[in-house]
Amino acid sequence: MVEVLLFFIGASLLLYVLLGGADYGAGILEMLPAGEHRHAQKKVINEAMGPVWEANHMWLILVVVILFMGFPLVFTTLMTSLHTPMVALLLGIVVRGCAFTFRHYDAIQEPHSQKVYTVLFAASSLWTAFWLGVIAASLNRGAVDLTALNFYDAYVAPWWGLYPTAMGVFVICIFAFLASVYLVGETVSAELRKLFLRRAYFFNIAVMVSGGLVFAASAFENRYLFTAFFRNPLTVSMMAMATLLFVLLWFFIRKSRTLLTRAVAAGQVALILAGWYLLHAPNALITQQGPISFYDAAAPEATLQQLVVALVVGSVFIFPSLFYLLKVFKSDSAQKF
Amino acid sequence: MDDLLAARATMGFSLGFHIIFAAVGMTMPFFMSAAHYYFLKKKDEEFLELTKMWMKGVAILFAVGAVSGTVLSFELGLLWPGFMKHAGAIIGMPFSWEGTAFFLEAVAIGLFLYGWKRMKPWVHWGTGLLVGISGFASGIFVVAANGWMNAPSGFDWVNGQAVNIDPVAAMFNKAWFHQTLHMQLAALQAVGFAVGGIHAFLYLRGKAQSLHLKAMKIALSFGAVAAIAQPFVGHFAAQRVAVLQPAKLAAMEGHFKTEKGASLYIGGIPDVETQTMKWGIPLPGLLSFLAFDDFNAEVKGLDQFPRELWPPVVITHISFQVMVALGTAMAALGVLFLILLRKDRWPAWFLKLLVLFIPMGFVALEAGWIVTEVGRQPWIIYGIMKTRDAVTPVPGMKYHFYLFLFVYLALSFITVWLLRRQILAAQRKFEG
Repeated sequence: MVEVLLFFIGASLLLYVLLGGADYGAGILEMLPAGEHRHAQKKVINEAMGPVWEANHMWLILVVVILFMGFPLVFTTLMTSLHTPMVALLLGIVVRGCAFTFRHYDAIQEPHSQKVYTVLFAASSLWTAFWLGVIAASLNRGAVDLTALNFYDAYVAPWWGLYPTAMGVFVICIFAFLASVYLVGETVSAELRKLFLRRAYFFNIAVMVSGGLVFAASAFENRYLFTAFFRNPLTVSMMAMATLLFVLLWFFIRKSRTLLTRAVAAGQVALILAGWYLLHAPNALITQQGPISFYDAAAPEATLQQLVVALVVGSVFIFPSLFYLLKVFKSDSAQKF
Repeated sequence: MDDLLAARATMGFSLGFHIIFAAVGMTMPFFMSAAHYYFLKKKDEEFLELTKMWMKGVAILFAVGAVSGTVLSFELGLLWPGFMKHAGAIIGMPFSWEGTAFFLEAVAIGLFLYGWKRMKPWVHWGTGLLVGISGFASGIFVVAANGWMNAPSGFDWVNGQAVNIDPVAAMFNKAWFHQTLHMQLAALQAVGFAVGGIHAFLYLRGKAQSLHLKAMKIALSFGAVAAIAQPFVGHFAAQRVAVLQPAKLAAMEGHFKTEKGASLYIGGIPDVETQTMKWGIPLPGLLSFLAFDDFNAEVKGLDQFPRELWPPVVITHISFQVMVALGTAMAALGVLFLILLRKDRWPAWFLKLLVLFIPMGFVALEAGWIVTEVGRQPWIIYGIMKTRDAVTPVPGMKYHFYLFLFVYLALSFITVWLLRRQILAAQRKFEG
């Protein structure tokens, strides 16, 4: 049962990063100067994100629900030791969802209020992506101290440092990269496509540089992670493959193969995510007192069974409706396949 | 402010805030679908206009409901890790179903909002209805989980650990049915009266009267039926509370001394020091009758419980009275509405009454939740775990409280401002 749930956690996280992550990236892109294209860019982003962002956000909720029902100890430890980054994340989620919706549905569209919404949407996208990275890094950093007696060791040290910061920047770059690649296929305007392609180039390089920084930072502050990485041939080959795929990505971009381009970019991110998880599988969290594995933290069998039933039955409803959603709204861009 | 109080206050206003948007999200899609149905059947453009007006309102309120619901799912762990450590495995099941239903709702709302020109009309209509159905289902699951906190079941509590966990028995706990029924009706009632009242107000302003009348009729038809059924359901719920949580019932009624033929008090403020009711109007024997269908039945008073296990009596009692008073008034208004609907005559005084009642359903809803939650104190899991033993060890919770208070106040302000702009823009359209 634990394995089935691990599959669902992995799949949900992956889909959250690939779909929800691109929505964050779109917000981050709106922070960059776009000159005369600003308005057109906003329109493309509204149309691409509007119908799907609520559904994309649900993958995160699903992870939270699986954790608190199936692995309560993991959930409560995370929410206690990483209290501050979780609160920061929540704040970003609230501001971002509201700003995006309000921008679109404000009945009186005037430049001043629209600008406020856009600034809030963009800034909170960047902010939330950063904290997602910080939380991800804190899971395998090993600084969570379950027996700490003072405030700093218990609630600050687990996430405060170079490695989580670098991871935050890395996640920002990944999300912006995904959004740029996806958005190229969302518009027919040659000008806008050029803009998004330039962004894709820029964030392609940014992903590599910040990815290097993540390694540098982890090596600088935490030798365990660095050595663990190079000791695991699977992880190393995944990262190598993700990097090599950039060649294929730009080949497809040159050929204007929208769907293949998206698939390759998504594949790269999937490899990075899988590599990151394999580093400490099957542990959910590394603490100073040792790892907490999903197996140790699992709820009783009866609970896990019910959770799997809910997830399987839910999938039967959710996946067809999601495909239908994508078919209704994304079939235009798919035609350019 | 100590950490426990800060955590309770944060949870309190997070729930109180979310419940408004959740209630709208799970009922208003039905109003919208009804208007949409009439448009598709009768081809009357006014119904289309109305569907789109309501849709924009739903879009804004749904988004706020979705993000404030996300906050709550995190807050369960951020504020109450001691609770979730044990409760997650027992009561996670309704949450996993709620997640599924909410996911469907999110997909359906994307399809409905943006799918006007991309789907066949009746398929599109169906997606709108699906928003309502899945939203309504999520509401039932979440309230069932709350029911478990009031009537815990599906596990054995041995030396501070839950064993023999049965998630199905936990979900179908003894409080799930009356609580969900009561809450779902309350949502229909609150939103029906709020929307109906807003359109009554706009009708009185004199523009686009035929549209606002249609809107008011749809919204209040839902609201009136729910309001008329509610006193009966409420009575049933109170009878369950009398059995399951006698201390809560005693606090609700300000009933200090165990007695046969207990009096029901209308109004009044309980004085905890002297253990008496001040200024209330007693109706002898009625409390016994309401609780146990027998004028002579014995009703347990607070004297049956050690003082440290009393819920805050004054808050619980006053909230209960507010809820019952408003519920009764709304049931009466509901009957009146149905009579006027048959004659299709809408006197101004009735419409003005409706305007007065715009917030009342929500006031009653909040008061009811205060009764449920404050009335369960000092327990977080009734009879099993105290709230103070569940709170997070993280210090400085008051900053958490101030932060979210600020965010939610700002959001409330902006949401009201946005809805006002919706109405203004619509009015302007009718003028020009």
